[in-house]
Amino acid sequence: MNPKEKQFKKAYEANFTKVMRLCMGYVEGENAMARDLTQEVFVKVWESMHKFRGESSFDTWIYRIAINTCLLNLRKNKPFVKNYKVEEVTALEIPEPETDKAQMLKQMYACINKLSETNRAIILLELEGMPQKSIAEVMGIRHEAVRTRIHRIKNELTKCIQDG
Amino acid sequence: MVDFNALQSQWKNQKNLEPGDDDYELVTKRLKQLRQDQWITKLVLFGTLVVLAFFFIYVSAFKNSTMTIGLSLMMGSLALRILIEFYSTKKLKSIGTFVSVHVFKAKLVNYYKARTKTHYVVSPLIVMAYIAGFMMMLPLFKMNLSPGFYLYIVISAIVVLLVLGAFILKKVRQELRDLKTLQQLE
Repeated sequence: MNPKEKQFKKAYEANFTKVMRLCMGYVEGENAMARDLTQEVFVKVWESMHKFRGESSFDTWIYRIAINTCLLNLRKNKPFVKNYKVEEVTALEIPEPETDKAQMLKQMYACINKLSETNRAIILLELEGMPQKSIAEVMGIRHEAVRTRIHRIKNELTKCIQDG
Repeated sequence: MVDFNALQSQWKNQKNLEPGDDDYELVTKRLKQLRQDQWITKLVLFGTLVVLAFFFIYVSAFKNSTMTIGLSLMMGSLALRILIEFYSTKKLKSIGTFVSVHVFKAKLVNYYKARTKTHYVVSPLIVMAYIAGFMMMLPLFKMNLSPGFYLYIVISAIVVLLVLGAFILKKVRQELRDLKTLQQLE
């Protein structure tokens, strides 16, 4: 393994779960689709690694790639609709009872999906616990604008979840 | 009352999001495929141009001025269309995904606007040049080919033109939809 491959594998292992979580927010929690998107993100990370200048943190850089890749995917599949085939739903299929946590997550995905594109990206980064200054860097908007927006989106999201 | 911190904690504790055993392998496979595709594209582009040039020399088109112009128009327009597609694909890929979301969106919109111009201005000119070239060649075909084969060439050219036209139209519509989607994103 050459130094570039080593660096890439390290970045891959350190960031896979974070990127996966972000992609889940774009595909309403569909694990296979999110996994596919995450792989696409890391293909782009590999292709752009030589362009990383260290002007922002590596995390910020990867999140930019992740959100832009999801945005590209959105362009291909908008609006995101879960594709269930009729034959997949059989009478024998008995869904397992969902825990409160699983239900809450499902509700979260649905509410995140209702947000506008920019608001969705911002709240996904906020949920990751990213500092607001870094969110502003990822999004390319002013720090103050992010701060006021986050407050509003949080209210919108919690209200949506509460109303079910 | 739903608490945001509780939501955040649940968000971060989601299960089954770790990399699977074959995920890394799939990423490297995709990279390999990507490199292969780039080579194939270059090969197809180069191959097409070589075949066209060879055909031009083979039929000694340069000995007859009408044939020279006719074939040049047909082959030139075909080559130009392929070159435009090649350049476009390269341009789309050159939009780095590592820039901020705001900049990325603006660059994508500009890309699709440029594509729209190509579809509305350049593509019709290319099709017209191709048809003009074909029309110039028709008397030569009639003179040198049997009536049956001549009829076959005329009919197949119309069919090919219609099929290609429908294909291009479908692609144009899809790209216009993409542009609209991007412009509507807030």
